[in-house]
Amino acid sequence: MTEINSIFVIDDDSIMVFGIKKILSSVVICDAIKTFGNGQLALDAILEILRKKEEIPDIIFLDINMPIMDGWQFLEEFIALPIQKKVRINIVTSSIDNYDRENWQKYKLKTHHTLTYNNKPIGREIMAEVTKAA
Amino acid sequence: MPKAIVFVNNVFEVVYASDLWIHTFELDNRTVFGNDLFSLSTTFDQNWKKGLKRCISGKTGIPLVTNSSDSKSGNTWIEWTFVPWYDEHENIIGAIMQGDDISLRVRDELRMERLQILLHEKSEIGKIGSWEYDIQNNTLAWSLMTKAIHEVAHDYMPTLESAICFYKQGHDRNKIAMCVDNAIRKGIPWHERLRIVTKNGDEKWVIAAGKAIIKNKQVVGLLGTFQDINEHIRREIKTNENERLLKTLIDNLPINIYIKDTESRKILVNKSESDFVGFAKTDDLLGKTDFDIYDEETANMSRNEDLEVMNTLRPLLGKTDTCIKKDGTKAFISVSKIPYLDDKNEVKGIIGMSLDITDKLLAQQEREEKERNFRSIFNSSYQFTGILDIDGTFLEINETALKFANLRQADIIDKKFWDAYWWPIPDVVKDGLKELIKAAAGGQVMRSEIVVLDHEKRPTNVDFSLKPIYDETNQIVSLLAEGRMINEMVVAREKLRESELKFRTLYELSPVSFILFDFETGEIIDFNPSFEQTSGYDKEAIAKIQYWDLLANKDVQLKEQINSTLEKERSCGPLEETYIKKDGTEFSVIIYKSLILNKKGQKLVWSIVQDVSESVKKERQIREERKLLRTVIDNLPLNVYIKDTESRKILVNKSECDYLGITNQEELIGLDDFDLYDDDVAQVSRDEDLKVMSTRQPMLGKETLNIKTDGSHTTFLTSKIPLKNEIGEITGLLGISLDITGLKHKEEELRHLINMTSLQNKKLINFAHIVSHNLRSHTANFSMLLDFLMHEKDENEKVRIIKMLTDASDNLLDTLDNLNEVVAISTNVNLEKQRVNLNEKIKSVEQNLQGFILNNNASIINTISDDVFVNVVPVYIESILLNFITNAVKYHAPERNPVIKLSVTHEDTYSVLSIEDNGLGIDLEKHGDKIFGMYKTFHTNKDARGIGLYISKNQIEAMNGKVTVQSKVNKGTTFKIYFNDRN
Repeated sequence: MTEINSIFVIDDDSIMVFGIKKILSSVVICDAIKTFGNGQLALDAILEILRKKEEIPDIIFLDINMPIMDGWQFLEEFIALPIQKKVRINIVTSSIDNYDRENWQKYKLKTHHTLTYNNKPIGREIMAEVTKAA
Repeated sequence: MPKAIVFVNNVFEVVYASDLWIHTFELDNRTVFGNDLFSLSTTFDQNWKKGLKRCISGKTGIPLVTNSSDSKSGNTWIEWTFVPWYDEHENIIGAIMQGDDISLRVRDELRMERLQILLHEKSEIGKIGSWEYDIQNNTLAWSLMTKAIHEVAHDYMPTLESAICFYKQGHDRNKIAMCVDNAIRKGIPWHERLRIVTKNGDEKWVIAAGKAIIKNKQVVGLLGTFQDINEHIRREIKTNENERLLKTLIDNLPINIYIKDTESRKILVNKSESDFVGFAKTDDLLGKTDFDIYDEETANMSRNEDLEVMNTLRPLLGKTDTCIKKDGTKAFISVSKIPYLDDKNEVKGIIGMSLDITDKLLAQQEREEKERNFRSIFNSSYQFTGILDIDGTFLEINETALKFANLRQADIIDKKFWDAYWWPIPDVVKDGLKELIKAAAGGQVMRSEIVVLDHEKRPTNVDFSLKPIYDETNQIVSLLAEGRMINEMVVAREKLRESELKFRTLYELSPVSFILFDFETGEIIDFNPSFEQTSGYDKEAIAKIQYWDLLANKDVQLKEQINSTLEKERSCGPLEETYIKKDGTEFSVIIYKSLILNKKGQKLVWSIVQDVSESVKKERQIREERKLLRTVIDNLPLNVYIKDTESRKILVNKSECDYLGITNQEELIGLDDFDLYDDDVAQVSRDEDLKVMSTRQPMLGKETLNIKTDGSHTTFLTSKIPLKNEIGEITGLLGISLDITGLKHKEEELRHLINMTSLQNKKLINFAHIVSHNLRSHTANFSMLLDFLMHEKDENEKVRIIKMLTDASDNLLDTLDNLNEVVAISTNVNLEKQRVNLNEKIKSVEQNLQGFILNNNASIINTISDDVFVNVVPVYIESILLNFITNAVKYHAPERNPVIKLSVTHEDTYSVLSIEDNGLGIDLEKHGDKIFGMYKTFHTNKDARGIGLYISKNQIEAMNGKVTVQSKVNKGTTFKIYFNDRN
C-alpha cells in the first residue's frame, strides 16, 4: 500500500465523494483526505496552506461541473500559483463531452503538475494507477 | 629874361656861365670857371662833346634836351643849342651853349602825342578816321584811317571836292554836299549814314560826321570823323534779307513747319501747316494745341512725342504717324521734331516738321501690292520665267526655274543666259543661244523645243520661248525668257490615258449599268455589258427601241420634268424607277443621269443604272426580321434595353416599359438612369455602364438593386454587353435584366429558415450533451454504489450504501423532471403568441409570491403603465416573471432588504422589460457565459438548482425574444427581457 501524506477531493456530489474515499482507502494509506464542495473552497484552503507554508496535497481529485467555481476555473487558478511541488491532479468527471477532453489536453501542456482525465465511476485499478507518485 | 648860357673855349674850359646855367646844372657851390666842362657833371656826355666839337669846327650843332625835375616846378625840359663863338676876326674860339626852357612846349607835345595815340587806337578799333578842313586855305587833311577807309595811299592829298566825289553819286553825294554847305554857312553839324565808293571801286557804308570850327563867330573850318560801318550794315541788311527769305521759304515749303512751346502750343506755323490742319490763316493756329486740332488719340500721341523730345533733347526723325483730325479725316504724316533751345540752351519747346505722306503711302501700298501680285504670279507660275536685258544678262528669274535647277538668285542674276547651269553641252549651244538673244533683241519672237538639265542632271523637254519686251516708247528694253516643261504634259497625257483605261474597265466590268442615249431622239448609242446582262437586251435588240421604252412608267409629264432638270442642272438623280427587261419582267433601279455634249454639239445623256431589285428584296427581308426580333424582344419576360455611350436609352422593350410604368416606348428614349431611378442607384448603374464600355468586357448575371423614384425596390439579375460598330468602336451597350425580386424574397425566407433550423439543431446538440452528462453522473453513482454493495461484507455499511442508492434514484427522478420541462419548451415551438397586458401578468405573479415576498421583506417597484401589451405565450410569461422575480428575492444581499424595480422601454421591434434588483450580484467576468446554462449555480444557496434561468431563456427564445444581463457583485443585477412585438 502506498502511503500518501495529503489528498484533496473536490466534488459537489456527496455520493461520488463517498465513493472516491472508499476506493482510495483500499489502495493507499492516507490520514489526511480533505473534501471540498466546489473549486472556490478548495482554492481558499490551498491559499491558506501556502500562507502557512504547510504541505501542499500530493493528489487532488477534481470534478468539473460544480457551482461557484468549476473544475476548469479552479485549475486555471491553481496552476498559476507558485507551487514547486509536482502535484498529481486527477480530473474525475461524468462528462463525455469532447470539449472537456480537449480542455484537459490544453491544461496538460500548460503545467508541470501531472494531469489525468478519468470518467466516473472510477475503478479500483485506475485508482491504484492514479495514486502513484506524481 | 635870365637865360642859361655858357661859353667854353676850344679846349672846352668854361669861360663864362650864367647863374641860371650854374643853377640848372646844380653847380652853385663849385668852381666853374676855368674848369673842363666835362669834368663838371656827368650830364655832359659824349653827345655834348660831339655837339661842341661840331660847333667848334664850324658846323651847326644838334640841340640837346635835358630834363630835370624838382618839387617846385615839376618836370623841366631845357633845349640846348650850340653856337660857335667867334672873335672879332671871325675865328672860332669856342662855343656858346644856350638853354631854352621848353617844358611847356614839351608838355603840350607830350599831351598831344598821347591824344594822338589814343585817337589812333580808337580809330583803329572802331575804324574811325578824322579829317580837318581849313576854309581860309581851302585845305583838307585826312587821318591815316580816313585814308585807309577811302583805300587811298598815305600820301594822298584830298580836296573838299575830291572828298565829296568819293560819295556815291546821287542821294549820298547830294546829301553830303548839302551837309558841308550847311555847316560852313550856318554852323550846323551833321551825322549821316552814307555810302562811298572807294578808290578801288567798292561801295561802303560810312558814318560821316562833321561840325564847324568857329573862331570869332566865324566859321574858319570843319572838323569831322569818318567811320566805316560797312560790315555792320551789311550784316544788318543780310539779317533782314535772311529773315525775309526764310519766312518766304518756310511759307512756300511743301512741308508743314511749326514751333511749339513747352506746353505744346503752336507759337509759329507755316502756311503749309495751317493748310494741312484746315485753318485759313496761320495766325489762327497760334496758341492752339494738337488737342484743338486732332482727335484724342492722335493728340495724345503727339503730346507724348513732344514731351519725349523735350525731356531727352533727342530729336525725333522721320517717324510715320497716323493722325485723325477732328472731322474724322485720316492722314499719314512723316514727322520730325527737334528740341527748340534758346541762347542759354534752355528748352523752349520743339520745332516740328511734318510731311503729309498719305498719298505717297497709299501710292506706295498700291505699288507694293502690284509688285507683290506680280511677284507671286511670277514665282508661282509653273513655267520657268526669266527676264534678260538685251545683251542676254539675267535681270530676274522666278522660283520655279531656281527650284528646277536647285540654284539661288545670286547664282543667276547678272550672269549671262548662255552660261546658265541647265544647258546640256554649253559650248555647243552657247552660240545658238547668243543668236537667239540677238534675234529677240531685234524684235523677233523666238520659240523652240529644247532639252535642259534639272538639278539631278536629268534631261527635261522644254518648250522654250524668248520674247522682246517693249517700253512705252516702243523700245526693246528687255527680253522675256519662258520655258514650259513638256514632260509634265506628257505625264498628264499618260495619266489621262490611264484614267481612260480605268474608266473603260469600270465601264466594262461594273455591276452598274451604263447607258448612253440621245437626249432628243432617245436612241441608245452605247451601253455596257452589265446592262446587257440585267436587261437581257443585246446590241441588235437595243437598236430597235428607244431609251424610254425601257421605263415601266410611261408618264410623259414625269419624263419632261426629268428632261428639264437635266437641261438646267446637267445632271439629276438619284431617281427610283422601274425598268422592263427584254422578257417583259420589271425590276427596280436607281438612276443617275448626266447630260453631256459631244463634239458635234449633240446632247447625249449618260444614264447610270443600279439594279436595286435585290436590295429592295433584302430590305423587305430585313424589315421582317426586325419586326420578328422586335416581337421576340417585346415578349421576353426580361427587361431589354440599349443605351448609347452617354447611358441614354435608345431602345427599350415592352417589359422594360411595363416595369417603369410607361405605355409608349418612345417616352423612354433619350432618358438615362438618373431620370428614372434614385440617384445612388443611377450612379451605380452608370459606373457599371462605363466599366463595361471601357473594358469592353460584358457584365454577366450581376445581382443589382433598383430603386425607382417612387421608392419601390426591385432586385434584378442584370447583364450588360458592350455594343461595337463595324470598326470596333464602342457605341453603347445592351442591357438585359431579369426581375428576381420574388425569387429573392423566397431565398431570404429560406435562409431565415436555415438559420432557425441550424440554431435549433445547435440547441438540440447542446441539450443532448446536457442530458447525457446529467444522466451519466447518476448512472456512474449507481454503478459505483452497486459495485460497493456487491463487495461489502459489513452489514451496516451495506445499509448505508442502499440509503445512498435511494438518494441517487431520487436525484435521477428530479433530473428527469427538469429535462422534461425543458423538452416541453423545445417541442412546443409553435405555441400561439397572444397580446397580453404585462401589468396584469405581473400582478398575478405578485399574488402567487405574496407570502415569499413578505417573508423576505421584499418590495417591488413597478413603473410599467397599464396599457403596455406584449406579444407572448401566456404560460411562458408567467413562468418567466415568476422565475426572475423569485431569483431577485432569493439571491438578495443578507444585509439589505430586497428591492425589485420593473420598467418597460421599446427598442426597434422589441418591448424591453427590465428587472432590476439590489441583491448579491454575480461576477460576470467569471461566469458571464454560463449564467443561462443548465445546472449552473453560482451561489451556495441550498435552493439553487441551476435550471430556472436556463428554462426562462429557452422560453424567451421560443418567443423570438432575447435576454441580457448586467450585474455587479454585491450591488445588484439587471435582466433585460426582449419581447418581440412581431409574430
